[in-house]
Parts: sequence; C-alpha cells; structure tokens
Amino acid sequence: MTRLLPLALLAGLVALPLALGANPYLLNALIVTGILTIGAMSLNLLLGFTGQLSLGHIAFFGIGAYVSALTSLGFDVELGFGLRAVHEPWPPVVGFLLATVAAGACGYLIGRLSFRVRGAYFVIVTISFAEVVRLVALNWVELTQGPLALTNIPAFTLGLPGLGFWTLKSKLQNYYLVLAVGTLCYLLIARLVHSRFGRAMRGLKENESLALSVGINATRTLTVAAVISAAMAGAAGSLYAHYLRIIDPDVFLFATTVTMVIMVVAGGKGTLMGPVVGGLIFGLLPVALRPVMAPEAQWIVYGLVLIVILFVLPRGIVPGMAARLGRRPARSAPVLEASPAVPQ
Amino acid sequence: MTGRFTLTTAILLALAATGARAEAIRIGVNEPLTGPFAASGTYVVNGAKIAAEEINAKGGVLGRQIELVIEDNKSNPTEAAAVAEKLITSDKTPVMMGAWGSSLTLAVMPKLMDYEVPMLVETSSSGKITTSGNPFVFRISPPSSLEAATFAPTVDKLGMKKVDFLVLNNDFGRGAATDFGKMLKDKGVTVGLVETMDQGAQDMSAQLSKLKASDADTIMITSSVDQLVLLFKQMAALGLKKRVITTGGSQNPDQIIAQAGAAADGTMHLTTFLPWVPEKTPDPKATEAFIAAWKQRGFAFAGVTESFRGYDGIRAIAHAIEKAGSAEPAAITKAFWSVDFTGLNGPIRFAKAGPAGKESGQSKPDVYLIEIKDGKVIVPTM
Amino acid sequence: MDELIQHLVNALILGGTYALLGIGLTLIFGIMNVVNFTHGALYTVGAYVMYLTVAALGLNFFLALPVAILGGLVLGAVIEVALLRPFRGSDIDTTMLVMIGAGIILQSGTLWTFGGVAKAIPSPFPEAPLQIGMVSVSWLRLFVLGAALALIALTYALINRTKLGLAMRAAFQDSDTAALMGVDVRRIYTATFALGSSLAAAAGALLGPVYVVFPQMGGLAELKAFAIVILGGLGNVTGAAIGGFILALAEELGAGYVSSGYRDAMGFLIIIAVLLCRPTGLFAKAERIG
Repeated sequence: MTRLLPLALLAGLVALPLALGANPYLLNALIVTGILTIGAMSLNLLLGFTGQLSLGHIAFFGIGAYVSALTSLGFDVELGFGLRAVHEPWPPVVGFLLATVAAGACGYLIGRLSFRVRGAYFVIVTISFAEVVRLVALNWVELTQGPLALTNIPAFTLGLPGLGFWTLKSKLQNYYLVLAVGTLCYLLIARLVHSRFGRAMRGLKENESLALSVGINATRTLTVAAVISAAMAGAAGSLYAHYLRIIDPDVFLFATTVTMVIMVVAGGKGTLMGPVVGGLIFGLLPVALRPVMAPEAQWIVYGLVLIVILFVLPRGIVPGMAARLGRRPARSAPVLEASPAVPQ
Repeated sequence: MTGRFTLTTAILLALAATGARAEAIRIGVNEPLTGPFAASGTYVVNGAKIAAEEINAKGGVLGRQIELVIEDNKSNPTEAAAVAEKLITSDKTPVMMGAWGSSLTLAVMPKLMDYEVPMLVETSSSGKITTSGNPFVFRISPPSSLEAATFAPTVDKLGMKKVDFLVLNNDFGRGAATDFGKMLKDKGVTVGLVETMDQGAQDMSAQLSKLKASDADTIMITSSVDQLVLLFKQMAALGLKKRVITTGGSQNPDQIIAQAGAAADGTMHLTTFLPWVPEKTPDPKATEAFIAAWKQRGFAFAGVTESFRGYDGIRAIAHAIEKAGSAEPAAITKAFWSVDFTGLNGPIRFAKAGPAGKESGQSKPDVYLIEIKDGKVIVPTM
Repeated sequence: MDELIQHLVNALILGGTYALLGIGLTLIFGIMNVVNFTHGALYTVGAYVMYLTVAALGLNFFLALPVAILGGLVLGAVIEVALLRPFRGSDIDTTMLVMIGAGIILQSGTLWTFGGVAKAIPSPFPEAPLQIGMVSVSWLRLFVLGAALALIALTYALINRTKLGLAMRAAFQDSDTAALMGVDVRRIYTATFALGSSLAAAAGALLGPVYVVFPQMGGLAELKAFAIVILGGLGNVTGAAIGGFILALAEELGAGYVSSGYRDAMGFLIIIAVLLCRPTGLFAKAERIG
C-alpha cells in the first residue's frame, strides 16, 4: 500500500498532460511546481532528516541557476590585477552538471558551518549567506548583468554526438524532463535514507549524544547530507534557468525559501512523500486561488495555512493521514535499532 | 486586479459576441502595477485606457473594437517575460505594449523573437533595446543617446565644467551615465564620479556625502520618481547645493513638488512632454483634450507626464493595425514602418535603428528642459 | 576629512534606530527563546500607523509617535497570546515557522490594505539643515536620534528599575525557578513580546518620515535586526545597542569608501564573520539582560 502510493502518483503525473491537453498555462504551473518540489525534497534532507533548519536554501537553487546559465551563455570578466576570465559557451547539460557541483561545494561550506553554530544561529547564518549571494548577483554586473537579468539562456539540449541532438523547447518536453529529474531525486533520497547513512542522520537528529556514543561521525554525516541536499537544489535551479530562459537576482528572494519550507513542513518533514505532497498542494494552490483572489490575499492564505497546519497537523499531512488510516505513527520507530522504517 | 478584471470581461465579451458582432482586437499591455515602479506603470495603463475608449467611441479599428489585456509584470524582469509569454500564447494578442523599465523590456525581447509578435516600447530608454537586432521592437520614447544629443547645446549655456553622476544600478541608469558621459566628454566637460544605487534603496546619504565632497558643479541623476523625492530630501538634509539635472523622462515633476517640497527648488529635469504649457506642445488641441479626459476621470494632474506615453502608444498601435488591414502579428509588424501621425510629444514615425536586415524602429520625440522654481514648473529661457 | 566626518554623523543618526530594532528582537529571543520573524512586519506597521495618523487623520506629528508605539504594543500582545502561547513548549523551529506565517500575513495584509505605492509622511521640521562647519544634519534626523536614545533609556529603566523588569530578568535567568518564586511567566512573556514589538514599531514610525513608507520596507530591516542581535550576542540588550551603531558605521563607511551597491551586504558579512570567529557574539561575556 505504502509502496503503491508513489507509483500511483508517478503514473498519474506521467498521464496528466494527456488528460490536460496542451494547456500552456497549466503546464507552466506544473513545471514550476515540479522544480520547486525538487527544491523542497532537497530541503527535506536537511530539515527533515538531520533536523537542521536552513533558511538560506534558495542560495543553492540560485547558484545552480546562475552557474548553469553562465556556463551555457559564456562570459568575459575582468578579475582585477590584469587577470581576465573568458569562457566560451558550453552545452546546457554541462551547465547542469557544473551547477550541481558548484551548489554542492557551497553545501559543503554550510555543512561544516552547521557543526560550529546550531539552532537559531545556524538559521540566521544561512539567511545571511543567501542574502550575500543575492547582493553579489545584483552588483557584479559584468558577470551576472545584475538587475538587468541574464536573458537568452539556451534551452536544454539532450543527445549524443552521432545520434543527433534534441532541444527541449516546448513545455511538454520540459514537463517530462522535470518529472524525470524529480523521480531520480526521489529514488536517490529513498536509497540514502534507507541506508546506514540514513540511520546515522536520523540518529543524530533524535539523540545526538547516543548517536555519538555508538560511533556515528556527526561532522561527516551532517556535511554529506548538506552537500547532497545543496547539489540537488542546484540541479533544480539549473532546470529553472533553462526552462524560463531568463533569471534575475530575485531568484534569491527569501519568499521562495519560505515556500519550500511550507511545502516540507505541511507535507511532513522527515518523510519521503511529504515534500512531494506538500509541493504539489502549495505549488498548485496559487493556480486554484488566482481566479478568486488577488496575489496579496493568496499570500495571506499561505501564512494562515502554515499556522493552521502547525496547530492541527504538527507533523505534516502525510504522517497525519497515515496515523488517521491506523498505521503505526511514523516517527515512533527507534531508528538506532535495526528497523529501517521510513514512512513512504 | 485590473488585469484580471479585463480578462474576465474580455472572455465574457467574447462569449457574448458569438456571430452578432465581430470579436474585439486584443492588445497586450505589460506594465508594472506592483513593486517599485507601480505608480508609473499604473499611470501608463490609465493613459492607455483613455486612448482605447476614444478609439472605440469612434468605431474602433477595422470596424472592430479594441480590447486591452492588461497584465502586471511586478517590476521584475522574469515576470515581464512570463507575462509576455502568457499574453502571446494564452490571450493570443497580435501586438503588445510594454514594459516600462529598460530591464523589463529587455527581458521581454527574446519572447518577441520566439513568437514573432511586435511590441511598442513606450517608456524604456536604454540604447540596447533598439541596437540588439530585434525587428519586433518599435519605440516611441527617446533612448538616452538621443536625450543626450538634444541636451548638448544647453551644456554651454549652463556653463557646465565638471559633472558627477548618480544613477540607478540597471540598464536605465547605467545607460544614461554612459551616453551623457560620452556627450559631455565630446563637449570638453570633465566627467567625475559615477555613483550607483539600487532601485529599492532608501538611504543614499553615503553616496550623497561623497558627491558633496566632490568639486563638480553639476550632478546628473537618473532614477524613478520615488527615489528622486528621497534624494532631494536627503540632499537638502546634507546641505548639498549643486546644479541638479535629472534624465529619463519619468521624473513626474508635480509629484516631486508635492512630496519633496522646497527641497526640489532649483532642480532641472529633462522631460518629453510639456503639459504645463499645452500651447508649446506639437499638437496643442490634442494635448488639451487628453489633459481634460485625464482630469475628467479624477486622476491627479501629476500623472500626465507618464500617462501620455500609454495614450500615444495605444494610438500608434491602432494606426499600425489600421494600416495592416488585419490583426495579424506579421502584418502589424510590417505596418509599423508606415505609421505617421503627430503624437503629444512630436511626430511618431519609425526610423530604422540597429544592425542591417533586422532593424528595430525608433521614433524621435521632442526633449525639453524644465526647472522647478518656487513650487512651479517653468521652462527656463536661455 | 569633511567627508569622513559627514559619514560618521550619518552613521550615528542611523545607529539609533538600528539599536532600537535590535533591542526589541534580542529581548524577545533572550527571554522567550523565540526568533521573531514578525519583527520586520511590526516595523512596517509602526510606519503605516504613523502615516495614517499624520497624513490621513491630520494628527500632530509628535502625538502620532506614541500612537504608533501603542499600536505595536497592542499588536505584539495579540500575536503573543494568539499564536505563541499555544505553542509554549514546542521546539524553537516550530515557533520560528509560526512567526514566519504571522509575518507573511502581516506583510501581505499591509500590501493589500495600502497598495504597493510608497507613501510619504510630512514632518514639521524645517527643510534647511543644521550646519556645523562643513557637516550638515537635518533637524528631522536629529529628532529621530534623540527619540531613539530616549526610548532606549526608557527600556533600560524599565528592565532595571521596575518590578516588571525584575520579573523579566528572573524569567531570563531561569523561567522555571521564576515561576516557582511566584512570577506569572505567561504574563511576563506577553509583556516582553509586546515591549519588543513596540520598539520595532517605534523604529518604523521614526524612520517612516525620513524615508518613505511601503509594505516591503520591513524585510531588509528585519534582516538587519538579526545582524545586530548576532553582533551583540542573542539576548544581550547592551550588545544590541552597541551592535546597532557598529552596523550603521560599517554600512556608511562601506558605501562611502568601498561600493555603494554592497551597503546592505555589510550586515550579513558581519554576521558570517562574527559567527565564524566568536559564535556567541562580540559581547558574549556580558551575556545577561540589562
């Protein structure tokens, strides 16, 4: 039953465009929702499984977007001291890989940091990190075009030399690309969580001194989790850049991090399906609300829903529903023992 | 809000008009209605509505009514591009007007190439817009190089020796600093500091303190009206008394007078419209009619220096559709080249600009220097 | 030299309101262990109450200021009772998310009510500045500095000289013991949150007339308040006061001599540097309130 839900959802998402026809407006909403959901899944790895609340997650997403865009656009920048960095455009696929690597590297820094500063300090450091990155994107005009935005970013091209290339320009193609990357990320996180490493992560979150006493290396575990989480957010950023084909420093806005946090918390942090369910609900909510209310009012609804969920379903929709259906409460499994029970 | 309203009305109209009446011709309007440029974008949209009502009252274009589909680009380039895509693919508008700021317009331009739909640019002043080889762009506002060239003769009359710049950190501001800087250097005037500020910045004391300490005699400022108000207040607070000339045509002198008060006294502004002295405008009767229509709707007089561009923009689009003989994007693009009428700030006819073979259209409006004196707008005699 | 002095004077004036913002936030964190993500929204509300009373109702400028502060006080108390009291005993992350939700509601609410166009608040002070040598300061800004310093002094007196302050200090030391000693901790929490909120509203009401008022003005102010609090050490009132002036100085000199575009980055760079070198803040040793 629990294994069937993700499969059923996947099948539904694969078939959805056939049912919708080629409605560009809905497809666009689905693509952006999908990209944000990947971001939420990556955030969940940190927030849900290690218990580190990073409110600067958008930095990884934005860095991924800018690295990917600049790799595929090329740049020519004066570095000072007579040094000059000139880069010829590379294919977007290379940009995607570099985006993942660059975001992962930043994740490494944040992961190391999370061991030095915890709790409220960690939250504020991550926000500051994201703001500094935003201000660099805004002010390093020669590289990033600043507020003028990077335009004309090429669309993704898939293919192999000799076999021909395929440029993903249409919305439908981008939809399936996002769905494929999302499914991959989901499988990767599922593997990770069920592994020894996953138990170490959750062990640290629930009882750090106990975890340390059974020989779990806290620094290493947290750092690896942060690197994977950031790399995934970077990948989502790259998808975003090549889909919209324009990015500006507003990609770093705090509001986007908040959206991802709401997706994770509402769906159920520390569960595999939580961010997916939360992502779909909160990604598509604006589409449902748009005809009935102004954007400001939509945000008021967002804030209200967040508070209500924290009141009524403090652990999120997925664990809450699972408990309703009479299944064993999600988090009661003692993770430090052999049971690898992670609710789907 | 307006966008949604118009959209629903348009759909209802389309549903109601089955067979009985020809369907309205839709014109996409892509303007900032929220965010830092909200005030200006709203003025432009209101001007556009007046033009649409006038045209419809006279029977519309090609025997059909025109319908504005207004969408908010939130003063953000990514949104502006998304709005353009929505207008083209979802609303099927064959021609658009937008997108106020240079950064916003530049963000929209690749979409015009992708879908081959023309856009009339009503406000943006960056040179890049007409020099990047986009044959779907037709601009009625002056690029900063044109503004600088028109201002050149005045430089000697004012006796300018050394000029500092304080500009927005975007295409609009930086473009103005480059073009005016070049013109001033050619005239033998020294160009000193070039300071920048973000479009949302509130406290410019640090930049102004730096400018105060400089030995330049004139400061040229390029920004939106809200920031100019703050700047003039902060200049007064710092005791910074130098000649100030603002560029860009979006300064809205009446709002400056109302909000900055005495702090704005003596400042000079390059504008593209003279609503204060209708008799000096190219088409005094049209100017007076427009101002009357504006006031009749209860809008503040201060808005006309922005809204006339929305008015002229829609009028130019209507002329193009009329000449095209059909409401198809390709025909309208071609017809823009034969538009020729007198707008509120000079003749509107498009000259070719940019790389050969894919030129953009650029109209050449008049540029005026005005001064704020004792809370009134005057045209200084030199 | 004149330029440097002018920069220093600018920083001094800005520092007063920064300190006010920081003290409010640090009090709430120190006593309640809540990271207050409504602080920026309360700053905005303070400015809009000022706008409403001065520009719309035509009330006297100096009377409008206490009205705005009172507005912050009441709104803060309501938020505490409605949203924080039910979550007592939850972890810090949960209350943080509740506060984010409340902040979103407040900010979008102001946008919805007042629209996105910036509003100006008229001030009764003369346009011509006070001129001392080559340095000039506007009368309005001088008043803002004076009012900020007076409010800081009042807050100090409240914490150190009143019974409420004594109870607040007891709750800060150890809320369980304080409860055993007969302190009504629930009331102390409401009072603390209301006090912190009123200081944020005061900062907004003071800076509103200096700049312009718009719904998003609180976002950056809030992040700056975090920087100030980190600088001074979470929960440290004196640290926050000094931190406010340090941040203003760093911003002013950074904008004047490095690059004006990175003005707002100064605060965040300070946070990162401080936390990497001294994770408990610059004034950690003096960590106590008052």
